[in-house]
Amino acid sequence: MSAGHGHHHHERPASAVELRARALEALLAERGLVSTDAIDAVVELYENDIGPQNGAAVVGRAWVDDAYRERLLADGNSAIAELGFGGAEADNLVAVANTPTVHNLIVCTLCSCYPWPLLGLPPTWYKSPPYRARAVSEPRAVLREFGVELGAEVEIRVWDSSAEVRYLVVPMRPEGTEGMSETELAALVTRDCMVGTALPRL
Amino acid sequence: MTGLAGVDRALGDEAALPRDNGELVFEEPWQGRALGMGVVLLERIGAPWPEFRRHLAAAIAARGEPAGESPATTYYTAWLDALEALLAGRDVAGYGTAGTTTSGPSASGSSAVSKSG
Repeated sequence: MSAGHGHHHHERPASAVELRARALEALLAERGLVSTDAIDAVVELYENDIGPQNGAAVVGRAWVDDAYRERLLADGNSAIAELGFGGAEADNLVAVANTPTVHNLIVCTLCSCYPWPLLGLPPTWYKSPPYRARAVSEPRAVLREFGVELGAEVEIRVWDSSAEVRYLVVPMRPEGTEGMSETELAALVTRDCMVGTALPRL
Repeated sequence: MTGLAGVDRALGDEAALPRDNGELVFEEPWQGRALGMGVVLLERIGAPWPEFRRHLAAAIAARGEPAGESPATTYYTAWLDALEALLAGRDVAGYGTAGTTTSGPSASGSSAVSKSG
């Protein structure tokens, strides 16, 4: 939790622009237009508003709404915009669906491109050179290390993300979830499920 | 309160928040507070985001890319320009008439403080 005040210990003199920001905040606070607590709350929310819940909501919708699923697979950007997601850097989102015979896995071999508007920040392993190399050279072994055992009949498709195209895996809806609501379903969808390194479980 | 995704949408590409692979970039605490101040202020005075976005885009264009200044510093300095321009345009909080700043973003941009050191 952040402290309720904007007063910090300064080890160096504040820059001119910092003083300007403080003066503006003080003026607006004096007029009752902003409060320190309200600003703190926004900053804290935004700094923590990074997680896979947006992607999970997209998958949850796709699981209950076949027409939405089709739109998602046909045009990822438009479909996630329907739920209010996207914006800068979400350009060219491509959703790829797992099926009984196809499993999708996402990697960025060059760096760490990632569909962050949907999944938040990438995990450390996603950025690691071993994952980036081995996801391509031996995806089945990598998946096994993540605890995902796939039958020999399942083809693994590896998608290399870039600044231009980012991928989202739409996992298969688990069996036994027939009576669940969209929200309950979304709660089953973890970050790793949407990268392809895990399968959703009840 | 407007969520971060809503802010991203409202700002679009041309005035997008500085990020590093998804993570908001705040080099110094004042930058995060400037963002929070804008969100709270717009909500409080009922100013629409497109109005703020126009001011912000103009301020970003006016500032350009000053040498020796980080992109986040330039962006959030423009953000302050835009907040002041918004207040001036709406004659709120003493801006616009007897205010601390003059008029639009270009005016405040040209008279703006620069980072020392």
